[in-house]
Amino acid sequence: MNNPAASAPQERHRVVLEITVNGRPERLEIEPRQTLLEVLRDGLGLMGAKEGCGSGKCGACTVLLEGRPINSCILLAVQAQGAEVTTIEGLAKNGRPHPLQQAFVDKGAIQCGFCTPGMILTAKALLDKNPDPGPEEIEEHLSGNLCRCTGYSKIVEAVLSAAEEMKGGRS
Amino acid sequence: MNREFSLIGRPTPYIDGLDKAMGRTRFVSDLVRPHMLHGAVLRSPHAHARILNIDPAKARALPGVRAVITFADTPGIKYGPRSEDWYILARDKALFHGHEVAAVAAVDLDTAARALELIEVEYEPLPAVIDPLEALEEGAPLVHPESGTNLAAEFKIESGEVDRSLDESHYVYQDRYYTNQVYQSYLEPMGALAQWDGQGRLELFAGTQIPNMMRMTYAKALGLAPDRIRVIVPDYGGAFGAKMEHNTHLIAALLAREADRPVRLFHSREEDFLAGNPRVPMYYDITLGLDKDGRLKAKDVTVTGAAGARLVYAQIIVATACYRVDSLYNFKHVRAKGLTAYTNTAPTSCFRGFGNSQGTFVLESALDMAARELRIDPAELRRINDLGPNSTSIHDWKINSNGLRECIDRATAAAGWEEKRRNKKPYKGIGLACCNHVSGNRPFAREFDGGAGIVRIGRDGRAKVFHGESDMGQGQKTVFALIAAERLGVPLEMVEVADVDTDMSPFGFGSFATRGTLMGGNGVLRAAENAFEQLAQVAADMLEANPLDLVCREGRWFVEGSPDTSLGWLEVTEEITLRRRGAPVVGTGFYEPPTVMPDPETKKGNISPAYPFACQVAQVEVDPETGQVKVVGFYAAHDVGRALNPLALEGQIQGGVAMGLGWTLTENMAYDPEGRLINNDFLDYVLPGFGDVPRIKPILVEPIEKEGPYGAKGIGEPALNPSMAAITNAIYDAVGVRVRELPVNPEKLLAEMEKLRKEKKGCVSGTQP
Repeated sequence: MNNPAASAPQERHRVVLEITVNGRPERLEIEPRQTLLEVLRDGLGLMGAKEGCGSGKCGACTVLLEGRPINSCILLAVQAQGAEVTTIEGLAKNGRPHPLQQAFVDKGAIQCGFCTPGMILTAKALLDKNPDPGPEEIEEHLSGNLCRCTGYSKIVEAVLSAAEEMKGGRS
Repeated sequence: MNREFSLIGRPTPYIDGLDKAMGRTRFVSDLVRPHMLHGAVLRSPHAHARILNIDPAKARALPGVRAVITFADTPGIKYGPRSEDWYILARDKALFHGHEVAAVAAVDLDTAARALELIEVEYEPLPAVIDPLEALEEGAPLVHPESGTNLAAEFKIESGEVDRSLDESHYVYQDRYYTNQVYQSYLEPMGALAQWDGQGRLELFAGTQIPNMMRMTYAKALGLAPDRIRVIVPDYGGAFGAKMEHNTHLIAALLAREADRPVRLFHSREEDFLAGNPRVPMYYDITLGLDKDGRLKAKDVTVTGAAGARLVYAQIIVATACYRVDSLYNFKHVRAKGLTAYTNTAPTSCFRGFGNSQGTFVLESALDMAARELRIDPAELRRINDLGPNSTSIHDWKINSNGLRECIDRATAAAGWEEKRRNKKPYKGIGLACCNHVSGNRPFAREFDGGAGIVRIGRDGRAKVFHGESDMGQGQKTVFALIAAERLGVPLEMVEVADVDTDMSPFGFGSFATRGTLMGGNGVLRAAENAFEQLAQVAADMLEANPLDLVCREGRWFVEGSPDTSLGWLEVTEEITLRRRGAPVVGTGFYEPPTVMPDPETKKGNISPAYPFACQVAQVEVDPETGQVKVVGFYAAHDVGRALNPLALEGQIQGGVAMGLGWTLTENMAYDPEGRLINNDFLDYVLPGFGDVPRIKPILVEPIEKEGPYGAKGIGEPALNPSMAAITNAIYDAVGVRVRELPVNPEKLLAEMEKLRKEKKGCVSGTQP
């Protein structure tokens, strides 16, 4: 991954990127070829999104762009110009974990945790759309995210449990 | 409910789970240092080639490049974890597609990538050898010509009278199996952050399963004393056996020294496919004899495995494939030969199961064939040959607890085994397979085996546990915290577990051989005991009681039976720290297992303090049109000793089975005839996803193990070992085709189904396809 803070070896073309990340407006000078993942991690220090494959096949880099899950490792940051981005760091409310975050912990849906931020954000996009999904719908919706540790069962349980919690607890 | 324990045995969420869920965990590849450079490696595009010339001049001249290294810039010392056939960078030949030829460090990855393009390398391609059987043929291209052969290692073991016993057998099964090369596919690729301090001491941050052993190996490679190297293991994203010694770590170290800056060097996914350490592929020839009652008579196997271009641990894995499974049942006569061949492929090494997964696949397939032939229920056939608890196996392994029989009973009951076999439906099948494993492997650890721990308790009462194993995501920190908290008598929140740091932690051998919970856990338990005793002295003083009568529960000290007069945990840690003029309580302890190095000739000797067992049942459906196999049900019963954390055990089992399912049905590293890896990404290398894995039902069987911490054994590898044969035995049940080669190839499966149909029409009898 790139480090824009380091002295550039050559003159490189730069553009201004204005995006809202986790509700906060950001303005950065970036290179047009930089991916959103690079900008989030190296530019903004938001290390929650991970690079698992660098080609949009594992989902570890998933963030929400205008509420939709996208692979930030294959999206150029300039394509997110003016948009609203949510990363795993932006899910907690007043320091309290999102019900999905708590359910992933409580249900044992996390082992190494490298896929977890992407998994949780993809699941959030589903619950925002459909607060009461069945197991098949969860599997279908999360099918772009790979996990090598858990065998998936506990992830499905966690999403079901979070959905239940959100229905009961809040509007 | 009257509980024996406060914490042990409850489903406990991981103590580091919330940080991971919140995105706060700093994984090793998230680490950043001021003025850090980015490393990149130039790799051979050929499977085998002479390096005629390397010219790094243009790369060195590129602005932003801080270091370029080739073999000439390395110490040039041959090294390796076991067999010293490694160089940090290729010397005069590239030996596999992806072999490390040169490396750069630059201010950013783009500059590093451009610099790689500017390194001029002149190759003369050579014929490559990919298959281990071909590698051992006369006239095959030699991977290491100086040794005069591609035979890297040979293992032999023999016990009893195999030939006579086979002659006397009622039924003899003989066949050749092939288990393919698969990739661990942990989600965080391998790599390291390396930096040198002013005194010429290396600090290496790496996700590694064996920080202490790695340090010894790297000291040799760098020509340094081990004390010149400090290995730190931050959180990291999975390993499954792969993350042991690797050239990449040392390349990062050399780049950092050359550039005098911290260097971060991580594989891209493609590189990790090319030059990670995937599973050892094996040809596996088996001859198995049984009497007519299903009792095992004799087994004779020959295993031929591909080590790739340098030996990581392949030779030990091939040896394990030869004989570990012999202690699953009551064998009396066994013989095995294991050949490990150099090939021009990625160096192969440890992957969950460590050879025993291959041996288990073959033996359990063979037993399935025998069960059909002898008309014995496959579950019953296993029960007939069960060793039972408090037994000694053919290789003198001392088996204390043995829950195999209960695993078979409970897995088959949960799956509805008998009912499903009675009401057989076309293209649907049910199969089972069993396994044994170790909890520590004495011949792998060599110098000694065991585990050690340190528990430090300061004035604030918090207990910090130091261990020398490695948490790669399997939940080791949590289980160590549970053990320490249980023994100290404090809530789990009072305990934290330090990252392994070779400057601070005990010299643990690491996390492999399903040893972490038993070995490391026993070390932590004894350290906690030691800390407890120190605290009890002072608490007893304060309570005017005998320290031996004191207990601590949920953070309160009292005389057993008199909880009304008690002291708080903090009162005691405060008092002891003041009395000791600020010195913390430091408890240390170690566990010495009753194991021995096996006899070099007979290989007899108890290699592990405890042996886990398992039985898994799979249900499949085969699509008669496409040959696609769908696993629709899975029941996995595991003898875990005492379940310390059922939540984590279930997760290990479900993850292991899913991994076995992927190996059985879709995963395969494919090489073209020139030896280039064809599928090096997650599009062409197909991992199981959400829709491919059924809801796996874990069943915990708990015969308390006297050697385990609170009675526990390990789970990591047995979680996967039987899965392949459970699935392929279910396929046999469904369509009558024996899968002898992994992964299942739907086209081949269809063709064999068609052949069977024709044979049936032609009224040809016989059970074997």
